Amino acid sequence: MPRRSPPTSRPPTLLLALALAAPIAWCAPADAQGEALSTEQMVDLLKVVDDRQRNSGDYKSLAYIEQREKDKELMVYEAVVYRRDADDRFMILFTRPKAEAGKGYLRIDKNLFIYDPTVGKWERRTERERIGGTDSRRTDFDESRLAEEYDPSYVGRETLGKFTVHHLKLTAKKDVDVAYPVLELWIDADSQNILKAQDRALSGKLMRTVYYPQWVKVFSESKGAEVYVPKEIHIYDEVEKGNQTHVVIRSVDLKSLPANIFTKAWLESQSR
Amino acid sequence: MAGSPVAQARVLAQMALRSLASHKVKSLIVGSIMVFGTALVVVGTSLLDSVEAGMERSIVKSLSGHLQLYDAEAKDDLALFGGTGMGGDDYGEVPDFGEVQRVVQALDGVEAVVPMGLGLANMSRGSELDRALDALRRAVEDGDAAARVALIHRVQRLLELMHADLANSRAITADTTELDANLAHVERAQQDAFWAPFAGDDLAAKRAALDFLDTKVAPAGGDGVQYYLRYLGTDLPLFARVFDRFRIVEGQPVPEGRRGLLMNKRFADSQLKLKVARLLDELHDAATLNDARIADDPALAAKARQARSLYGSLTLMLSPEDAAALTETLRAAFPDVQPTEGQSDLDALMQAALTVDDDTLKARYAFFYEQIAPRVELYPFRVGDVLTLRAFTKRGYMKSVNVKVYGTFEFAGLERSELSGAANLVDLMTFRDLYGQMTEAQQAELKAIQAEVGLERVDRADAEAAFFGGADDSVEKVADGSVFGDFEVARIEREAGTRVADDRPFTREQMLDGVVLNAAVILADGVAVDEAKARVQAAVDAAGLKLKVVDWRAASGVIGQFVLVIRGVLLLAIGIIFIVALVIINNSMLMATLERVREIGTLRAIGAQRRFVMAMVMLETLVLGLLSGGVGAGLGAALVGWMGDVGIPAKNDILVFLFSGPRLHPTVGAGNLLVALVVILVVSLISTWYPARIATRVQPVEAMREA
Repeated sequence: MPRRSPPTSRPPTLLLALALAAPIAWCAPADAQGEALSTEQMVDLLKVVDDRQRNSGDYKSLAYIEQREKDKELMVYEAVVYRRDADDRFMILFTRPKAEAGKGYLRIDKNLFIYDPTVGKWERRTERERIGGTDSRRTDFDESRLAEEYDPSYVGRETLGKFTVHHLKLTAKKDVDVAYPVLELWIDADSQNILKAQDRALSGKLMRTVYYPQWVKVFSESKGAEVYVPKEIHIYDEVEKGNQTHVVIRSVDLKSLPANIFTKAWLESQSR
Repeated sequence: MAGSPVAQARVLAQMALRSLASHKVKSLIVGSIMVFGTALVVVGTSLLDSVEAGMERSIVKSLSGHLQLYDAEAKDDLALFGGTGMGGDDYGEVPDFGEVQRVVQALDGVEAVVPMGLGLANMSRGSELDRALDALRRAVEDGDAAARVALIHRVQRLLELMHADLANSRAITADTTELDANLAHVERAQQDAFWAPFAGDDLAAKRAALDFLDTKVAPAGGDGVQYYLRYLGTDLPLFARVFDRFRIVEGQPVPEGRRGLLMNKRFADSQLKLKVARLLDELHDAATLNDARIADDPALAAKARQARSLYGSLTLMLSPEDAAALTETLRAAFPDVQPTEGQSDLDALMQAALTVDDDTLKARYAFFYEQIAPRVELYPFRVGDVLTLRAFTKRGYMKSVNVKVYGTFEFAGLERSELSGAANLVDLMTFRDLYGQMTEAQQAELKAIQAEVGLERVDRADAEAAFFGGADDSVEKVADGSVFGDFEVARIEREAGTRVADDRPFTREQMLDGVVLNAAVILADGVAVDEAKARVQAAVDAAGLKLKVVDWRAASGVIGQFVLVIRGVLLLAIGIIFIVALVIINNSMLMATLERVREIGTLRAIGAQRRFVMAMVMLETLVLGLLSGGVGAGLGAALVGWMGDVGIPAKNDILVFLFSGPRLHPTVGAGNLLVALVVILVVSLISTWYPARIATRVQPVEAMREA
């Protein structure tokens, strides 16, 4: 039967936000004072950003998610995000509100499964599948591979509020499958944290603007180094104007997680 | 000319008849045009009225009722049979149906008010392997040994088929890296050692094996299928009672106070049914209903070829027992069929059974439904199954519900119409679950969670100033140690809902007092729709309900406007024909008038007034119009009568809907005849007015000059 694309769903956006909220390993600034960055310096900078997201240890965070869609009522969630990047595993367990509690997303290798306890069913999502009928793909939830997947160009040294930032434009490399072929990043020249990102379509059309105004630094025993986590993520939909997603990471715990939690059985057991 | 009006009329009538008789050619031409025009109006309006009546029956008696009520502030117009939004139309909402029912039901002539809510749900079905693994995992977790053994056999059989499939692909693929990896995974899963843990007690080992199958093997086994299902939530018992075209085909009605789904038979047949069966149905329908031949129709020939090519999809579905039994049956029916190289005996026989042409279609169609269909899954559901429907709620998040399929239904007379498959039926509570209607407690819970965090709303335009403009803002907030914040996770308290069908009963009050999107109003026989519409609108306005009332035609969407379009086209065609007729009649009468200058001059010479001359010419056309119109109306009525007896076949599904059945039996009404006569007389008089004016200007002297 003919179908409309179902209305844009928020959960995938949430997932992306939560994936981005994953730990970012702290590295020393590469160039805090230079006027403009050379290509090598930009690639190094992107490697720093990528390296920060490759956390070998476990990660658990408590996230609050607020979704505002134009002409729709507010929706809020509380969810726990679990990551074990060494095994490429990622899990989200919704804890509140009651109506959504127990729902979960589980990624094992390149498989993304979704579980809904109200119907007791798992569903597989593949790379080809549009998650929840939106344009989000599994790759959205993958680790950051900016240096591998994009070629950077320098737009300029700019000011974002009271911060001095490097404004970079990233274009996807040939034959690389990415969610957004063009990215613009505003990276704090001092801390090298991403403060702002804009995702664009191939045509250059602006799709989303994302802000990371606050970061927390947490020590990871498994890594023996500190990791950075964006405390707040604010996503503004530039296509469906008025749609917004706000994520607050309320707590982060980098202690080791039990060995067997990234399994369907564990996720199911949470809502039994 | 002097004399009483009666005498004058008699003279005028005699003169008109004499003139008609003496100008036979002119009378014949003009008369023929009038006969044709009148017959056309009679036939055209009769057919149109019959189609409109048929369409009204189709729409009113299946989904819409006579009137529909919905939110006055809805963004989109109600379109019960599908609008432009592909299921995403915004019809606003009616927060409390109970109040609406109390107000409208109290009005005279209102028989019933039926609550409704349209929605679009997704029904996904994993691949065969995904489903088998899901069931196996469930059996392992539940310790169900018998189910586990059967499911392991099933998974192993699917692995065999998958291996063969991957090996075939490998033979024709240049870069085999990915296929090799997939084959290695499948081969590992085919070893006995892989399945050894399932015989023991080590749950972790079983889970590890299942994880391997889930994440390494199953992804190469396909994605499964997604179906989209338009549903109408309603008071099912009331719906069945007032929409008298509704009837259960298989299964049973959903019991009062129970949640359940009734699948639309037409929708299931055209959207969900196994592809090869659908192709055979289409070929069979084309041959039996439209006398179409595969040999003469390239589109049908393509369908026949496609059906033949799908034999593999059937043999894959057979259990080993069914495969053996069917091979025997097929061998008896096709003793001479030999498999080609690499093809199994069953595949070759199945291919033969699906090979149809005009001579074999009927027999092989029957064979398919008698021998093959009972052994395969014709539909992705069976009556009694529990289906998971997923839909986006009004808050934008995805909601899933499990609902039991109680049966299938159809609308009598519209079985073949795709439009009658516009919606499946669910109970109102299931609709509300999918719609995401929240209770006050649920809304309070959301507010409480929101208040805990107290995030300030920042609009897009102010974002950068708010996030990066603060004088004391620091990008880094450093925490000590490996924990930041107070990690207190709420204990998961899940709301009711089970793996089996959600079978919580509900009371009538619970069903009525809640949100719906629209409501159908069924009027008593003989109540005029327009008049009732005004009364219902006045009543809901007086009650302060912000609702708009529309008639069935407006509520049905594009299809409701169809008759208006046809009527417009017919009127345009009739208009053009009558303009041509008007010119011809005008010319003929003008010529006739010019030929009668001497006669008219003579009449004027002996005292006839201009008014008399005008009346004479006009009356002549009027008499011709009456005679021709009568004949035309008679011919038209006879034609409609004949069509009414024979019936006009509905050649496609749109026509089935418009005709409200497989054939239209049009009838002619007195109104159609009267309209045709009036139209032809008006056209006749208009077209004669100018020649008559010319005639009145003839002077007596012109008669003498002619002489």
